[in-house]
Amino acid sequence: MKKKPNYKLIIGAIVIVAALGYLLISATRSNTQYFMTVDELISQKSELEGQKLRMSGAVVGESIQYDPATLDLSFVVAQIPGDHRLIAEMGGMAKVLAEAVANPNAARMTIHYTGVKPDLLKDEAQAIVTGSLDAEGVFQATELLMKCPSKYESILPDQVED
Amino acid sequence: MMFYLGLGGFALAGLLMLVCLVLTIWQLSHKQHEISTTVRFLTNLGFGLHTLSVLALLFMQVNQDYSNAYVVGVINPALPTYLRLTALWGGQAGSLFFWSWIINLCLVIALNRRHILRDNWGYLFALVNLIFFSGISMFLENPFSRVWQLTDRSLAESLFSPAAGATVYSGLIGRGLNPLLRHWGMIIHPPLLYIGFGAFLLPFAETLSHLVVKGDGDDLIAALRPWLLVAWIFLTAGIALGSWWSYDVLGWGGYWAWDPVETSSLIPWLVSTGLLHSMFLQQKKDIFKRINVILILSSYLLIIFSILMTRAGLISSVHAFGESSISIPLVVFLLVFLALSVALVVWRWQKMDSGWEFQSWFSRDSLFLYTLVILMAIALVCLWGLLYPLASRAFSGVEITLDRGFYDRAVTPLLVLLALLMAVCPLVGWSVASLKKLGERALIPLVVATLAAVAAWLWLSKSWVAVLSIFIVALGLAVLIATTVRDLRKVEKPLGTFWKMRSRYGAFLVHSGILLIMLGIVGVEGLSQSIQGTLVPGDKMPLGEFGVEFVELTENYESPEYLSVRAQIDLWRGDEIVARLTPGQDVYESRSQYVSIPGKRSTLAGDFYTIMLDYDAMMGYVSIQATINPLVNFMWIGSLFLCLGAAFSLSSPIVLEQAVRKEDEQSDAD
Repeated sequence: MKKKPNYKLIIGAIVIVAALGYLLISATRSNTQYFMTVDELISQKSELEGQKLRMSGAVVGESIQYDPATLDLSFVVAQIPGDHRLIAEMGGMAKVLAEAVANPNAARMTIHYTGVKPDLLKDEAQAIVTGSLDAEGVFQATELLMKCPSKYESILPDQVED
Repeated sequence: MMFYLGLGGFALAGLLMLVCLVLTIWQLSHKQHEISTTVRFLTNLGFGLHTLSVLALLFMQVNQDYSNAYVVGVINPALPTYLRLTALWGGQAGSLFFWSWIINLCLVIALNRRHILRDNWGYLFALVNLIFFSGISMFLENPFSRVWQLTDRSLAESLFSPAAGATVYSGLIGRGLNPLLRHWGMIIHPPLLYIGFGAFLLPFAETLSHLVVKGDGDDLIAALRPWLLVAWIFLTAGIALGSWWSYDVLGWGGYWAWDPVETSSLIPWLVSTGLLHSMFLQQKKDIFKRINVILILSSYLLIIFSILMTRAGLISSVHAFGESSISIPLVVFLLVFLALSVALVVWRWQKMDSGWEFQSWFSRDSLFLYTLVILMAIALVCLWGLLYPLASRAFSGVEITLDRGFYDRAVTPLLVLLALLMAVCPLVGWSVASLKKLGERALIPLVVATLAAVAAWLWLSKSWVAVLSIFIVALGLAVLIATTVRDLRKVEKPLGTFWKMRSRYGAFLVHSGILLIMLGIVGVEGLSQSIQGTLVPGDKMPLGEFGVEFVELTENYESPEYLSVRAQIDLWRGDEIVARLTPGQDVYESRSQYVSIPGKRSTLAGDFYTIMLDYDAMMGYVSIQATINPLVNFMWIGSLFLCLGAAFSLSSPIVLEQAVRKEDEQSDAD
């Protein structure tokens, strides 16, 4: 038995697919951001200026400056790799973050943000920052997201402290 | 001792699962489809042992057995007992173990109630899932791992002695559960979500079994409906509580951030919500069989995907547990069941034909179909947003992520369409709509909605988006109320009818819940006002019709773990003080972390929400941010309506709506 094609359904389907396709593509175009490491940002500084970016780095605790009157917040992040597998090979996120902060040769970048200081912003936290690079090479953030690797996992110290 | 009880119980339970697996396969190879009493007994016994093992872990948590590595991770001496218990799902290993137990619980309930999992095939599919997740918990993230001290005094984590001369070490004192997780919203959010996730396994297994054994799509939904509704209620409650927690605890008043983990738990919710609609049509008219089968299967597969997103550290997210060894097994597992599902559906495709034809653009069938399409479109947008970064990394080497602007822009028009559909649906007759009738029925709700929109324009906001949204929400609510009143006025015993047709009015309640949630979103996104300032005692800061006066700073040292700093604030409205707000920070010196505690005054009209951004105890000043979030509490009330409405529907068999349907057709024919 062969049914004749149902034109209403076909037209409907085409309209839906076209509308959804348009919605997805237009929303995607205006809201993409590159996810980069500090190293990548510094090496491609000139091309990236003004573009919407997302980056991740280790927070250097002593660099945190915050003025609660104006909500001006600035801090420095140090280079950590972007690849999870690489991080696992290097001994886990907590270790990578601590090493990045301690290493004076790691690439660093200043972040500037206006807004409430996140509770979790502290030394050796992982900052995931959205924003763009300005002409001076400062990362102007519009959104901050903090992760502390110790949050869920127990980290055993190598030696017992007496 | 507890270590042996816990690990031993878990290992024996696992062994019994394997025995059941072998038995079931052997029976199936002999064409025996009924689940044997031996298998039933062994499954129950296994569950008992699994439970014993969970209790052993809980015992270690409560009694602070620091030889256990998991306990070291989540417990500390200052933690109150109830938090020591709930720390079971506060860390990766514990929560995976707990998840395996929840699956086992669902399996045992299904097996003992007998209206689902009637076939060895269904049992087999469910069991394979249980074995997989128990295996992951046992071999990759074992919660019973102990801390060992080696001969060179260094420490290691292992179940059994890692080297000769090593001794169990219990001198590590834990740092306790993360302060952010010590909130009752966060305490019950994970178990609710897990139960919701786990309850979808049985419909999934049963559907696969149905495809293998019968494959015509008949009679499938009737047995699964209670499970699907219960799963949906738990899923809804879990997501809503997560959202409430982030509003209440994270200190910035956000309720939804399109974080990948949030988004990934929303996808199964959207798909299963679509399923609730299409399965209703199968029960009433015996159509949409293929769609229902596909939706049941994808709900569970998307849950596995969500677990993968949360656990495997593929994406950057606040919730993610960090990189982990379980991602590859999970991906393989997901792909195997995806392939199996696709193969079975393709195989049975012709047999499941329900002969449905698209006839009218404006019948109730079509409106259900549109609802389904829009829900799936939102799910697709979410899935796109999650997969885009992974795909871009795979193809171009650079990770390109989509920010929340993407979701806001793509989802908003779809939500508006959904709200419109909810307003129109109850007005349309059961089969072919009568437009004249529609006009008559829509009149009063349209008037009400127009009045609401005018009122909103006058007193709330001049933003046309907000006014339009309020118009649509009011229209939807007015239609639901008007339809209920119209239904019940026609019958002799309105209350009796209301009770008899609770599947219909439960659905109405769910719809009004969705509309109220939308109202809350409009309030927070479109109408909120905010101000911040640095105040010394006696200073007053105006916001809207309110004034914020800083009285004094108080410090409380009662807790051994943290210093509790609070700004005492009087909230003025005109010339009178309406509330004392105490925003502040709990400062955990030992973790060099603090948690913001918002101070708020909640009314139906909205929240007055304050946070203390900073303080100086020496100088005596504080920085305060104050925000008015109008209508926000409708979000939580709406979420409650979702759960109550679904539960109300659940309590009723669905066939009873026939009565209204006939009357509806008669009045249409008049």
